[in-house]
Amino acid sequence: MPIFKRNQIARNLWTLPVLAAACLLGSSVFAQATAQTDLESVGRGAPLLDLNTYALTGATMRRGTGFVGPSTEPPVFNGGAPPGETPAGVEALPIDIFTSKDFYKDRALWTDPRYFRCNSSAALEDLWGGNRASLIGENPPTSAAWGHCENDYPREAIVSPYGFKTAQEHYEALKAETTARGGPTVHTYETVPGEWTGRYQHPGRTPNNWYWYRMRHNQVPTILSLLTPEYQTRMVQEAYHHANTNAAQWPSQYCWPEGFMRRWHEAAQWELSIMATPKMVQILGGVVRNFITNIHIGRDFNMEGNVPRLGADVPRWYGETIGFWDGDTLITWTSNIQGWKAHAAFEWSNQMQSIEIYTPNRDADGKFLGLNHEAILYDPEALVEPVRIVRNYEKLSDFDEGDPYVFVECIQSIFPIDGVATPVSPGQVIEYKIPDMYGRPWDAIWKEYFEKDMEKQQEAEDIFSFE
Amino acid sequence: MKMQFKPTTTLAAVALLAGAVSLPVLAHHSFAMYNMNTIKVFTGVVTRVDPAPNHLQLFFAPMNEDRKNVERDEKGEPVVWAVEMGGSAQMAREGVSVNAFPPGTVFSVGMHPLRNGEKAGSMEGGLFKCPERTPPAAGMHCDSVEGSIQIGKAGLPEPK
Repeated sequence: MPIFKRNQIARNLWTLPVLAAACLLGSSVFAQATAQTDLESVGRGAPLLDLNTYALTGATMRRGTGFVGPSTEPPVFNGGAPPGETPAGVEALPIDIFTSKDFYKDRALWTDPRYFRCNSSAALEDLWGGNRASLIGENPPTSAAWGHCENDYPREAIVSPYGFKTAQEHYEALKAETTARGGPTVHTYETVPGEWTGRYQHPGRTPNNWYWYRMRHNQVPTILSLLTPEYQTRMVQEAYHHANTNAAQWPSQYCWPEGFMRRWHEAAQWELSIMATPKMVQILGGVVRNFITNIHIGRDFNMEGNVPRLGADVPRWYGETIGFWDGDTLITWTSNIQGWKAHAAFEWSNQMQSIEIYTPNRDADGKFLGLNHEAILYDPEALVEPVRIVRNYEKLSDFDEGDPYVFVECIQSIFPIDGVATPVSPGQVIEYKIPDMYGRPWDAIWKEYFEKDMEKQQEAEDIFSFE
Repeated sequence: MKMQFKPTTTLAAVALLAGAVSLPVLAHHSFAMYNMNTIKVFTGVVTRVDPAPNHLQLFFAPMNEDRKNVERDEKGEPVVWAVEMGGSAQMAREGVSVNAFPPGTVFSVGMHPLRNGEKAGSMEGGLFKCPERTPPAAGMHCDSVEGSIQIGKAGLPEPK
């Protein structure tokens, strides 16, 4: 039975089990800190406000720390108020995302965390039971639980601390400072950091590896403030259909592509396999789909066309990546990415590009523990300014032990029926509308089944008339 | 650049195929569903380019005879056809890509239609892209429009 206890885990208390779990896990302990380096850089390793010292924002049912696999502990309510109640000292809005019939009309309220009942975007998708424990209450959706209105990881800690406007500027500045020190390093098979090669822990289960993109430590308005108006609308649209209509359209549920940003989603990556060679570093991971990041060392992008690219002018679901070594640090630039979405996060466009820096983490004796992964994301269509995500990969072993990577073939068994994701049995006959995969197929489903009575959205340009 | 090319003999057409847009030699699926003895030629408006793993698919609404709008169904909605081409990377190198053919692009193409009568076909011959928002005159194709871009070395095939 779930245990409902208001404000059970306050910010300071929450850090205690975190630290305790970290201690139990022995020496392989990371903080969310940036890379271990004394280097003064224009574009990497800037100080970071450790999110692991912040409490969760949204209402959720937690089973222990969740760091080391499934827990046998009963789920415990962590939130501002359980279903059907309002937190003490908080005045609810007359209309919020759970009571609104048309979220488009509520735009002026989107900046108020109370519109989302102080739930993070990840908590909103959990309320109906998205991750198996429901907090929607007896009179859904209006009886939904509240999150902690006082908890929010600062926006200033999310945006890029570097002054670059584009990924190209950023990459070139990093390369210039590396060159000024005599780099980039040209590795051979004798000198390439072979200790990188091996199996790494599921990033979501690596101790102290919370980062903001897991979307559990921010109020929704804080995340919206990072987005352009159109992408704000898209994020609230998804939040509404998570929170209100219970019509989640997660791409992986239909075996649709995962997309580039799902590399940072807490549920999309399990153990990672990394292989380092002088000219190529490959990062392999995935659960429902395969994520293969091939980092082409020493190559340059073709700068002709809409975005920099390595191959043909075809947007790629996970982009194309170049990089260079600075000693045992790898600096990369990814471009030519297909726009898409990650549920509970935000959509991105084909303009998305990233600068990612992989730096070894070592203990006091210099033993290799894993990699610090700092990413700065540039998307002028979706983001009002670049953002940064920092996390750690904890090395588990070399390839001579442990389970091998399982190459995934996703066979669709869940289909949208009347707009609702529905498991379908072999032999069952259904009516199925072929989605337009490059036209926001989730939006088409929501508009057809759940938004007919909402404020008419801007008509698309008439491309068919030549009168 | 204005390009017009009308092969008049079967021999010429066969010879031109060698220089046409490089259709897949090693296909990922059977093309037997298409009727290779029939050719349709369309001028249409792009609705979507799908760089799918099998072969690039270009979805379009065929233009009506006067080239002022597109053919529509009984509900007034555009009728949409699909033409299957070569691999996405190969076609991008030829000039057919998501970025080069955004929705609204007017182009002309020949195809072998499906045997079952559904609205799709396999590309045959060359492809012509009209200048932006500049459809051809009534009954004509993009190869007749000044400034059109030719993809591949072959012209539009003769319907049969």
